[in-house]
Amino acid sequence: MVRIVTDSVSDIPADVAQQLRIAIVPLYVRFGSEVYRDGVELSNSDFYRKLVTSRRLPTTSAPSPRDFSTVYDKLAGETDEILSIHVSSRFTTVHKAALTGRERMKRKCRVEVIDSLTGAMGEGLIVIAAARWALEGVALDELADMVRKAAQRVHVYMCFETLEYLNKGGRIGRAESMLGSPLKVNSIIGLEGGEIQPICRERRRSRAMERMYSFACKFNSATSLAVEHGAAAEDAEMLAERLVTSFAKERMYLSSISSAVGVHTGPNVIGLSVLEG
Amino acid sequence: MKTRRAEQYTGQDLREMFSAATMWLEKSVADINALNVFPVPDGDCGTNMLLTMRSTIEEAYRAPDSDAAAVAQAMARGALMGARGNSGVILSQIFRGMAQGLDGRESFDGKGFASAFAKGSAVAYKALTRPVEGTILTVAKDASTAGQAACSDGNDLIQVMEATVKRARESVANTPALLPVLRQAGVVDAGGQGLYVLFEGALHYLKGEVEEMQSGRPEVVPSNIPLVSRFPVVAEKEEPYGYCTEFVLEGHKNLNPDKIRKSLVNEGQCLIVVGDEELVHIHVHTFDPGRVVHYASRLGILHEIKIQNMDDQHREYVEMVKAQAPLPEIATITVVSGEGLAQVFRSLGVSSVVPGGQTMNPSVEELLQAVEALPQDKVILLPNNKNIIPAAKQVPALTLKKVRVIPTESVPQGVAALLAFNYDADLKANASLMKEAASSVVTIEVTKAIRAARIGNLKIGKRQSIGFLNGELATAGDKPAQVLWDVIDEVDMGKKEIVTIYYGKNAKRPKAEEVAERIREKYPKLEVELVYGGQPHYNYIVSVE
Repeated sequence: MVRIVTDSVSDIPADVAQQLRIAIVPLYVRFGSEVYRDGVELSNSDFYRKLVTSRRLPTTSAPSPRDFSTVYDKLAGETDEILSIHVSSRFTTVHKAALTGRERMKRKCRVEVIDSLTGAMGEGLIVIAAARWALEGVALDELADMVRKAAQRVHVYMCFETLEYLNKGGRIGRAESMLGSPLKVNSIIGLEGGEIQPICRERRRSRAMERMYSFACKFNSATSLAVEHGAAAEDAEMLAERLVTSFAKERMYLSSISSAVGVHTGPNVIGLSVLEG
Repeated sequence: MKTRRAEQYTGQDLREMFSAATMWLEKSVADINALNVFPVPDGDCGTNMLLTMRSTIEEAYRAPDSDAAAVAQAMARGALMGARGNSGVILSQIFRGMAQGLDGRESFDGKGFASAFAKGSAVAYKALTRPVEGTILTVAKDASTAGQAACSDGNDLIQVMEATVKRARESVANTPALLPVLRQAGVVDAGGQGLYVLFEGALHYLKGEVEEMQSGRPEVVPSNIPLVSRFPVVAEKEEPYGYCTEFVLEGHKNLNPDKIRKSLVNEGQCLIVVGDEELVHIHVHTFDPGRVVHYASRLGILHEIKIQNMDDQHREYVEMVKAQAPLPEIATITVVSGEGLAQVFRSLGVSSVVPGGQTMNPSVEELLQAVEALPQDKVILLPNNKNIIPAAKQVPALTLKKVRVIPTESVPQGVAALLAFNYDADLKANASLMKEAASSVVTIEVTKAIRAARIGNLKIGKRQSIGFLNGELATAGDKPAQVLWDVIDEVDMGKKEIVTIYYGKNAKRPKAEEVAERIREKYPKLEVELVYGGQPHYNYIVSVE
């Protein structure tokens, strides 16, 4: 069976990863001189607490090639085909580190490395789909092909109370036009084809959540859907509850935004990811 | 107690360090080019710095000896020969000063490097007839000062470089605060960013961070003041820039840089003449490169002659910036007065602000001009006042552009409409989205009566404060803040979430704060925001949504 590897940007809930045998390579999150492995040494809730109290903004760095080669080598003892799916190479060097990691493997095993062109649960949904196909017995070449096609059908929306973190992390992209408002505004941005796009703004949080709900409803052919949050569990649960009426529960995921993503998105963020059929 | 002697570095280390730094810079060239707006927005600053560094490093490897002085000397020569553009020439002067600082030294430690860099910064300042702050010069000065200060903790080069890089970064972040053209363009200084990246690369090398250098990439330093969109400045048609003219003049120990500078000072802009009696690098932006070349060719032999049409470069740069951050297809124009309110609209992405409002209605002609001045063919107009709507409605018939008027009657309606603007929707869809959003907001305005009157059962004295709810007179009183509160108290807050108070030029913030506090007390679930609007005539304009 093809084994699936991804990075912690995918925000896949731990129980789902375990059940689908997905190996997650964590990124590093740095607060000053303290370095944590995302999700391993620092839980998401601890992270957001630190994020709002820490005077210094944290930074992230990609896993080292060695982190990848270690995981690949370990899996190579159990399989001879690995599919490694990663966050858009436009945002980080994770994809590159995975490629270098593959070169440094000690054991022999085919490893295919794919750029998901997206991140957060957008990436997560692709990885989950891949893991399900792998469990069904799809072989590596076909699987890689299916994943590349799936990457074209994923849509991510995120609702921010502030874009300050996205801007400071240097990943604001075209949503730059939404910056610098003296008014408090909820900004919704999209992630399409690896690029950040401004979508809309709402002053009222309730209206912004209504918008997120209507985005999800646009995709009635969705094969899977995820709602995630950064320190905004209540809003995420409310959105998920509303969506359960239109989407089958087993194709819906509720997750929390990992610290590797949270460094750049900040607190009070709601994410919505859809994988179309 | 004896202090441990700090580690010494040779000329070999010096060139390795800057060779690694050049590779690091190379990764950032496109980013730096995109920042380039000063002195000419031609988008080649990163390329120029890289080419300057390449020449510097090539020459460094030709140094006859590997002691620090010889390598630094060679680097300075390479930099001068290969210098390109403003930032490149300034960079070459930093290397020149560093060579002077390292003169006669076999090796150097942190302290040696710090003082050499400080010398470099000083030489660079001297090379310019009119040094401008908020550029590579400021970054060099700030960073070298920090480097020298770090020597008091020991003379370790890595420590010194860490302090240098840290301060360089802070200094780059501060450039928009110092140089208005950067602020308007919404960027940090390109040359300063280049210098920071260079030193950061050198530090990575010294610390042996090979992994980071291979897979990482330099980051563009975010500004320490909020900046908005980076397009509008370069979109404006400006004066032609002429030709960037640059070459190295080789004489026979008879050149006088000061004299040459004096002779060329009226030939153009951005004149830099640097060098010594043997080699002089000349850089100038001129409309007549022939005269400059002709003058210099009588003094000696010319090398590395480069003449570039900056208007062509500027056009390419605008294309590049456009491709990076495309203009929205639909432009928006708002009518508003008060600097605070104008800033609110600008920050929300309005393309153009026409000054006007109560008692200062802009003419049809003024609105038409604003429409015609925009590059877009589709325009949405927000009049934000009942009395301006009729003029605005004349505009669509007078232009070939497609213009839609959203009949916003107040500033809060205008803000709500603009916020509803959807980047993906077409003109028609946007018009209906914006109209709907405008109608969903409650407007309260507090102003002064210009004459006594009796309206319904309200008796109003001259100069008394009067409050309007959605354009209808609601109450009158002596104190504006009390009138505001009285009107707010009439609004059904049942499903409302946000109250925004824009206080005007004649209102005092503490008074507005008191009202905000009263609202919060009575309606703890409401979010209340206080924003300086700076509008004339109206003490308060409030939106409830």
